[in-house]
Amino acid sequence: MASELLQLLVDGLTIGVVYVLLAAGLSVIFGVMNVINFAHGELFALGAYFALALIAPFGGSAFFVALFVAPLLVGIIGVGIERFTVRPLYGRNPLYHILLTFGLVLVINDLIYLIWEPGSVTLPLPAVLSGSITVLDVTASVYNLFIIVFGALMAVAVWAMFEFTKYGLIVRAGAQDRQMVRNLGIDIDRYYSLVFGMGAALAAFAGIILGGYQTVNPTMGMSVIIPAFVIVVLGGLGSFRGAVVGGLFVGLVQTALRTYAPIFEGTGIFVLMIGVLLVRPHGLFGTDAGEEHAGNLLSGPRGGFLDPQTRTRLGLAMVGLLALVPLGAGTLYSTYAVTLVIEIIIWGLFALSLDFVMGYTGLVSLGHALFYGLGAYAVALGLSHVSQSAFVVLALAIVISAVIAWGIGFLSIRVSGVYFAMITLGFAELFYNLLGQLEFTGGSDGLFGLSTYYGLAGVGVELDEIAVFLGPVAITGQSLFYYIALAALVASFLLTRRMLNSPFGAVLKSIRENEQRATFIGYETTVYKRRAFVVSGALAGLAGGLFTLNAGYATPSLVDWLNSGEVIVMVILGGMGTLYGPVIGSGIFFGLEELLTGFTDRWRLVLGTIFVLFVILLPGGLVSLPSRLAPALLGAPGRGPNPEPEPESNPDPEPATDVDDAHTRGDD
Amino acid sequence: MALESSESTEPNESTDPTEPSDPIETTQQRTDTPLLQTENLVKRFGQFTATDRVDLTIERGEFRSVIGPNGAGKTTLFNLITGALPVTAGAIYFDGADITALSPSARVRRGIGRSFQISNVFGGLTVRENVRLAIQSVARDEYTAVESLFKPTDRYDELNDRTEAILDRIGLAHVAAEQANALAYGDKRRLEIGVVLATDPELVLFDEPTAGMSVEETRETIDLLEAVLVDQTLLLIEHDIELVMELSDRITVLNGGQILAEGTPAEIAANQDVQNAYLGGMTE
Repeated sequence: MASELLQLLVDGLTIGVVYVLLAAGLSVIFGVMNVINFAHGELFALGAYFALALIAPFGGSAFFVALFVAPLLVGIIGVGIERFTVRPLYGRNPLYHILLTFGLVLVINDLIYLIWEPGSVTLPLPAVLSGSITVLDVTASVYNLFIIVFGALMAVAVWAMFEFTKYGLIVRAGAQDRQMVRNLGIDIDRYYSLVFGMGAALAAFAGIILGGYQTVNPTMGMSVIIPAFVIVVLGGLGSFRGAVVGGLFVGLVQTALRTYAPIFEGTGIFVLMIGVLLVRPHGLFGTDAGEEHAGNLLSGPRGGFLDPQTRTRLGLAMVGLLALVPLGAGTLYSTYAVTLVIEIIIWGLFALSLDFVMGYTGLVSLGHALFYGLGAYAVALGLSHVSQSAFVVLALAIVISAVIAWGIGFLSIRVSGVYFAMITLGFAELFYNLLGQLEFTGGSDGLFGLSTYYGLAGVGVELDEIAVFLGPVAITGQSLFYYIALAALVASFLLTRRMLNSPFGAVLKSIRENEQRATFIGYETTVYKRRAFVVSGALAGLAGGLFTLNAGYATPSLVDWLNSGEVIVMVILGGMGTLYGPVIGSGIFFGLEELLTGFTDRWRLVLGTIFVLFVILLPGGLVSLPSRLAPALLGAPGRGPNPEPEPESNPDPEPATDVDDAHTRGDD
Repeated sequence: MALESSESTEPNESTDPTEPSDPIETTQQRTDTPLLQTENLVKRFGQFTATDRVDLTIERGEFRSVIGPNGAGKTTLFNLITGALPVTAGAIYFDGADITALSPSARVRRGIGRSFQISNVFGGLTVRENVRLAIQSVARDEYTAVESLFKPTDRYDELNDRTEAILDRIGLAHVAAEQANALAYGDKRRLEIGVVLATDPELVLFDEPTAGMSVEETRETIDLLEAVLVDQTLLLIEHDIELVMELSDRITVLNGGQILAEGTPAEIAANQDVQNAYLGGMTE
């Protein structure tokens, strides 16, 4: 028993040390620069691949050279990333860093695929590190012990550097008050590059030693980034001590769970993180110092340079145009067009749902795929157990998603900013792992082979059985579903827009503008945020439900965190805080994907690059383009005085001039 | 036509929204309890005691100023009264009721308004929306949940009338449709005060309303305060001693988190402790 525990300790510490190195860099980068670096996992993988390339010509004995050269190279890349992509974003909300580094994930990951072969490779180790030692019945490989000792030394070295060197002092001072350090005549920006580079190098170290322990493969970055975030959040963002304690702890817990309770291996750490955040909203060692709102969210343009009537017409024209798509399918173009636009519509609805909470209350849900998946599974399970009626199961999807959103909102809206993003990510990952393990959800295969009918109480039709004839064109099957999806999108848009024009929506906007002020004119802002989150979750559930109705299956991959990231991408791409922008964003996203996959397998690389440029150059999204260009083209400011498009039902916009009696005019 | 008779009784309530008649009535009804009272109020941050056994009593209609050197605990006291910070010990009574455990927004609804420094308005919203949000906050019980979720704001005629009345009163009706960010310095100040006024407060707390202003701007701001908030009880933190001496009914001097002295401007000016601790620097 004792030897078993010791074995567990050695194995747990091995993984734990890797986590410590990974999380330390992540945490320090956040603490100093307020940057959430999602690309950290890819830098970790890059370290392993660089080492692979360095060792390959010389054999295992070159391992020690690679162990120092590869992190140096990755460190230089890190400096470059900071200098050219992160730096332009300082002063903006940390959300933009999440988005930027998410783009970098796509870019670096695809580069790895491009340069190296897909599949797992073994990292050759020197003879010194192979073999094993047996002490007191415990067998530990030399390499394990090497990892633990080397990793511990690295961690101590980093800590000592921050604590005792002038460099460390300046960086710590800069984390407290950047401007003050500048006033002392110190070029703080240069130090930030170094911090980022150092964090990248630490990640590379971790990548190399884990690569030697397990294998090197292109997905290794993706598989460690989420646990690394859990550790950083658990320990407290920005806390070096927290990263060390959290890393070792998670390493041990994961190893113990794998041995004794494999069912909880995937879910355990997320339960742990959520639990810790609920008791200590800033992590074990965190303070709330890092949580100042450094910059504003840049939402899409308000008003724009088109007057409300033109916008309404434009919107109607767009819907009209979309309604025509199925008519030409099979004749003018392949029926695949319908499939593609259905995907755009469903994801457009999903993105709209996120925008309602992110764009209007500033809550960044990094786990919104949870609600998409909930909707999908609610429909799938509903079809198998409750009713075959599409309407019943969609209603079920909406209700279940709304209820879960209320619960998660209740638990997590008390933590704000980055911690909220992380706790929602935690819930989503928890759900993802649960889906893979639960029997009634079909495990990792999911649920499939589902069929439905459109009607109630057994009276209704299947879409394949009927056809609507419009002149020479017969619309059936998927094309009919197309209209159902389009109707759901339009209805959701109108509903949310209506809500935003109501007193409820006015409060949401006030929270976005200035939450403190909203509190001090008497609004319980957490209650309003929670309500917005419920609406958002319900609509995301509807989107997921529509997906499953159409596709006939639901799998855990729907809840993958990459989906949560992509939907944020769409919102930003189109323009946050506009409702229609995210729908456009969805169209652009899938359009680009479609276009790029025609040319290259490495479309994520191009997409990621486009996205990185977007965040840096056009943070207001595509819909901000016209009003950005307007001053240059027309020589006049493009921004109108009306903050929101007026509802169609009220064609009289508020007068832009000082017509005093505007309010006395009876509207209806 | 039967409606007419019932309507004729109503105008008492909504005749002229520019006259905030309600607060005065309630004020006159209950003059027995002080409007605000703190009892043995303590706030500690770790080892540091920022507010040390403060007993503060503010009567209705009073203009009270809180002064004290930097670090005396003035802003902490404000944060405790408005609920921005939880108390370590002690109690706060407003209008006779214990509000110590209430959230900031609940206190606002009870009638404690707080004015912030200039930038603290909803910059991306219009002037009208700024004021309407405050009005809507106080009036939210008048509408059903469905209405407040789905009925467009511009169809709440009564709320909009009240909004326009406030806009008239603070002299911003002509810029009602402009973004608050686009306002001139003085107009932003007006809007800030208008937003507080719109929450229909009985007590208004001002934290250095004239910080960073020129003499002229300070004068304008104070004139505006006195004109618009005649009916309210005011609690003011202010550095400008001359201004405080001129405006206040009573002055509370804080030092090291404790109340050092309290009294009329004349009493405070004559107080030796105060001169030693605080005013000493000015007599050189």
